[in-house]
Amino acid sequence: MKIHDKITPDGTRDILFEQCEAKRSIERRLARFFRHRGFDEVMTPGLEFYDVFYSNAAYFPQETMYKLTDSKGRLMVMRPDCTIPIARLMGTRLAGLEKPVRLYYDQNVYRSNPSMKGFSNEITQTGVELIGAGSIKADLEILELAANGLTHCSIENYRLEICHIGYFKQLMNNLEADDTEKEKIRELIESKNYAALGDVLKSYPESEAVTALAKLPEMFGGCDVIDQAAKLFPNGKKVLDELRSVYESLQALGLGEKVIVDLGLVNQAEYYTGIIFRGYVDGVGEPVLSGGRYDKLMQDFGQALPATGFAVNVNQLSRVLLEKGDTVPPKTQILLFSEKQCDPLVFARMKELVEQGIRCEYSLFDTLEQTKAYAKSKGIPTVEVL
Amino acid sequence: MKPLRIALTKGRLEEKTVAMLESIGYDCSQIRNKGRKLVLCIPEKNIEVVLAKSADVITYVENGVCDLGIVGKDTIMEMGKSFYEVLDLGFGRCRFALAVPKGTNFYEGYHSRTIATKYPNVARSYFESKMDIEVVKIEGSVELAPILGLADAIVDIVETGTTLKENGLEIAEEIAQVSARVIVNIASLKLRKKEIENLIDDMRRAIKEN
Repeated sequence: MKIHDKITPDGTRDILFEQCEAKRSIERRLARFFRHRGFDEVMTPGLEFYDVFYSNAAYFPQETMYKLTDSKGRLMVMRPDCTIPIARLMGTRLAGLEKPVRLYYDQNVYRSNPSMKGFSNEITQTGVELIGAGSIKADLEILELAANGLTHCSIENYRLEICHIGYFKQLMNNLEADDTEKEKIRELIESKNYAALGDVLKSYPESEAVTALAKLPEMFGGCDVIDQAAKLFPNGKKVLDELRSVYESLQALGLGEKVIVDLGLVNQAEYYTGIIFRGYVDGVGEPVLSGGRYDKLMQDFGQALPATGFAVNVNQLSRVLLEKGDTVPPKTQILLFSEKQCDPLVFARMKELVEQGIRCEYSLFDTLEQTKAYAKSKGIPTVEVL
Repeated sequence: MKPLRIALTKGRLEEKTVAMLESIGYDCSQIRNKGRKLVLCIPEKNIEVVLAKSADVITYVENGVCDLGIVGKDTIMEMGKSFYEVLDLGFGRCRFALAVPKGTNFYEGYHSRTIATKYPNVARSYFESKMDIEVVKIEGSVELAPILGLADAIVDIVETGTTLKENGLEIAEEIAQVSARVIVNIASLKLRKKEIENLIDDMRRAIKEN
């Protein structure tokens, strides 16, 4: 039998020293920021019943979830997402809370990715949910929170893409096609596969919706994209006006440079219902944050409530922070040595130093010589002898 | 500004891509005279070209270490797709097909079928909605498998069909058309929109002119 006692499972890793420092720093800054903006923390179990995610199976393909059974043989999963457990909470213990409810979380999610492609299967997500508010005002709050959250993590070079999934949904409603075909079209739009999309849409009778769908992958950029979309499909005016007003508000908030409109952002189209967005940072090949409005989810758990939120991929952000090189693990300043086996003076001195916020270490060596050699090799500047 | 990095599939697609880029005035002399170098520049365009095997092109683009990639649709179908597939370059054309020993009907009878292929994911997903099959992955000449009696049919890339014919096989069904594609990392397209769009527009122009 092969014994795997020297390695970690695919897609997981040990996080060490300055990596921990960077990761904790991101988590701390985001949590502090969210807390100061009126969000309260919740923690949900790392294990949930499969059924919780099954009602949303379409968004959580079962092959991406880690599964186990409990002592009664019931199927459980390692939490693959933080929003759905919160929806469960809202349908149960938090049902009576005054709305809107502002929650944040900082916990790991587990997703089984195809192996050896360089993706993590254990990701720390720090995120927020704003539940019970369906207005543009709420969308804007969440978007601003996302943008400012990145700034709080000392990340300046980012881009936020926004979309209103309603436009795509309306176009699809105007298309006479079965679900399989619609899913195929959605995938082609999501992957910006202009050529194949054009070929598929050729087989449909010409209409405003078909023309607009064919253009969807290239509809990303500034406000002009919204104008173009409105021209192609005037019935979409209402959702586009919402998107425009969000875009303009973000500009008014000084975030104009950072925001890009992408009407071809159609991932998880069944789940989302309104304004959706993703954040990108230079040097990271995948979105570092993503979120949006999901007004239908809560009713699966018994209480129909509008909601919006986003999650930050902490692992990726901490990598960026680490590469910037401004996180260093704390260094020990003072090494304390005493010849006695138990010297109350040493412990008193350490207490004093800790209170002053100075990092110290207790020398376990028998001689001062050994202690000095250790200090030298560890780069500890001062040895105090008591 | 750091250069735009393109991962280019070595070999046939590389030659055709270079010819296409040269036709619109890109200086590809470094790629033509690469020697053993794997990272090459297109001067004046701020573009860096990385030569890689097709599957690696996808890995590099998905992970964002390359902004763009040029790779066959066959590899894309086999490897997945968390990237944008923005342009069909039109060259490197061939097709995926199900081929059977001449004169046999793949669907006849109720015995379980085995398919030999270099592309297990393509084979599996093609049959997902049809019937259950057994897939055997073969690294070399797939045509051998039915001859040796290991498989009832093969799923493979077919260009002219000569190899099939010479080994007593014929196409039973066409699965998909294949050609070279331009893929783009999701974050890159958002962060470096202008540069990438310019490059893709140039390529589009090159395809049209030829």
